[in-house]
Amino acid sequence: MKRIESRLKELSKVNQKAFVGYIVAGDPDLETSLDLMHLSVESGIDILEIGVPFTDPIAEGPTIQQAHDRSLENDTNLQKIVDLVGRFREKDSDTPIILMGYINNFLMYKDLINSSDELGVDGVLVVDIPGELSLKDYGIDNKDLDIISLVSPTTSKERIQRIAKNSSGFIYYVTLRGVTGSSNLDGNEIEQNIQYIKSISTTPVMAGFGIKTKDDAKLLSSFSDGIVIGSSIVELIHKNSENKDFHEVSDYISTMKDAIR
Amino acid sequence: MKENLPDQDGFFGEYGGKFVPETLMFALDELEQTYKTLKDNNDFNAEFHRDLAEFVGRPSPLYFAKRLTEHYSTASIWLKREDLNHTGAHKINNTVGQILLAKYMGKKRIIAETGAGQHGVATATVAARLGLDCHIYMGSEDVRRQSLNVYRMKLLGAKVHEVNSGSATLKDALNEALRDWVTNIEDTYYIIGSVTGPHPYPMIVRDFNAVVGYELIEQSQESFGRMPDSIIACVGGGSNAMGIFYPFIKMNDVELIGVEAAGKGIETGEHAAPLNDGTPGVLHGAKSYLMQDENGQVKGTASISAGLDYPGVGPEHSWLKDIKRAKYVAVSDDEVMKAFHMVNRMEGILPALETAHAFAYLDELMPQMSKEQHIVINVSGRGDKDLNSVVEIEGIKL
Ligand SMILES: Cc1ncc(COP(=O)(O)O)c(C=O)c1O
Repeated sequence: MKRIESRLKELSKVNQKAFVGYIVAGDPDLETSLDLMHLSVESGIDILEIGVPFTDPIAEGPTIQQAHDRSLENDTNLQKIVDLVGRFREKDSDTPIILMGYINNFLMYKDLINSSDELGVDGVLVVDIPGELSLKDYGIDNKDLDIISLVSPTTSKERIQRIAKNSSGFIYYVTLRGVTGSSNLDGNEIEQNIQYIKSISTTPVMAGFGIKTKDDAKLLSSFSDGIVIGSSIVELIHKNSENKDFHEVSDYISTMKDAIR
Repeated sequence: MKENLPDQDGFFGEYGGKFVPETLMFALDELEQTYKTLKDNNDFNAEFHRDLAEFVGRPSPLYFAKRLTEHYSTASIWLKREDLNHTGAHKINNTVGQILLAKYMGKKRIIAETGAGQHGVATATVAARLGLDCHIYMGSEDVRRQSLNVYRMKLLGAKVHEVNSGSATLKDALNEALRDWVTNIEDTYYIIGSVTGPHPYPMIVRDFNAVVGYELIEQSQESFGRMPDSIIACVGGGSNAMGIFYPFIKMNDVELIGVEAAGKGIETGEHAAPLNDGTPGVLHGAKSYLMQDENGQVKGTASISAGLDYPGVGPEHSWLKDIKRAKYVAVSDDEVMKAFHMVNRMEGILPALETAHAFAYLDELMPQMSKEQHIVINVSGRGDKDLNSVVEIEGIKL
């Protein structure tokens, strides 16, 4: 069984929701990213979403944009990120890893992404390709990879059906109209839309964008299969990058994990 | 040649498409449906053409550049005077059209990005006319270079948002406008400023600017009894070029020449010429030629002209390049400054620095032409906005 599927099955067997955590590879540097990946898992993250930095990340708010910029200062690229995942796998062969980024970077590394079973990566989430399109048509084709698609509050029912057919691993429900790190969650709308997705598809649904507090996490996990948190973690990493003491990151992750139990 | 491009998915050959975050898909579909219905609607077209005539002042003249022609003493040089439009550039053709789409769609809030500020001014102008709330995104570097236009937008009641992220130029302003749109998707209409961005924008902006090419067909017939031999236009995103090229694409005898910004020289890497020195990639929702590195990161650009200082280009130009229907060349900042002075002195016309790129190619083109031929330059805009920059570049104290 693929790592994402088996991790989500384990969690649901014990009636638990999944915690997907996002960090940007190479912020503050790749060595530290490796430590942060392990630390996140120890603190309660179930699935790691690794941000691939891009010069023009149009779906990101300022917090994650700046993390992309910092990472690019270190010349982070997809090859180095795949190497990072390889090193992570030396100690952790279970935690699923998703690469999240923009189509232009993936297109430049098609061969790498298509190459292997030893990639160590379990899924890709390309932010700027419509979910009903197939990455295959753009030359990205690796049957071992889950393709995670986004559904948003403005996605029509008809498109949700097409997107659901195309997705594996999980469907990522974008909980607000806006960029990452915004704050205008509408609980009722989110609940209705996730219920609709679940009525037409058996693929698990994660809710993400704009989740910051325990209350957000608790509410959204009550009608989804799990939550995704990005900006808050990225901000705490940056805040502590100078002295590299990340216990605030670890405390935050544990608190949020507790909130969705 | 294939007709009626883009195809239904928004592609010109392999270029174009809709590479955007999911939230925007709904708005793009809504826009596409609206445009499809209105495009052939008589009332809509009557209103568009009335605005072009009475508010913009169309048709713009086709003017014989007598002294330039004598200077090169080969082909006759004709100027399509978009600089005489209200607000001083071709950009108004597009904004007059798109604001009508916004009106028909009932949108109350208008956003746009701008580089040189011409598109920002053209957008603020049409928004003021309809009393709509208007927000313009502009890189802080461009705010500095084009301060007169910034003030002009404010006079028109627009709010100008300075963008400091990335290189703080046009591409970053576009990023910020897209982020605003994702956030305010339901009540906001995004008036994009060139034939760039996701489908249906490259098609819509081209169609609204194509009035320039259609007028030129008639005016050429009247002025010299046939179609031009060559048409030259500067290319930033490519809207003035696409507007004048489009009606001529099927006339294979008419040579189409787009002039990009070579900045400090193509060989220095410091330029803004993706069609001359770029590779296919995806930026701002469309696949097209792009200035990018081997990791797929977008490279910085350099050009004397804010309106051409953009690492991408409209997808239809990429297609025209690949099928060899149009030719794309580049001229350096130095050549542009020389042409800028030449046009002032010889024709009494103050061209925008963007437009001066088209004139700068004459040195290379004219010796290859012959006396009985006719060429047309699209004078995309006037240069009042650039006087501060020119003064600074030449180290003059006013
Ligand atoms: C006068 C003028 N010409 C040309 C351009 C470049 O845009 P495009 O290539 O879309 O015509 C601009 C953009 O600001 C402009 O102001």
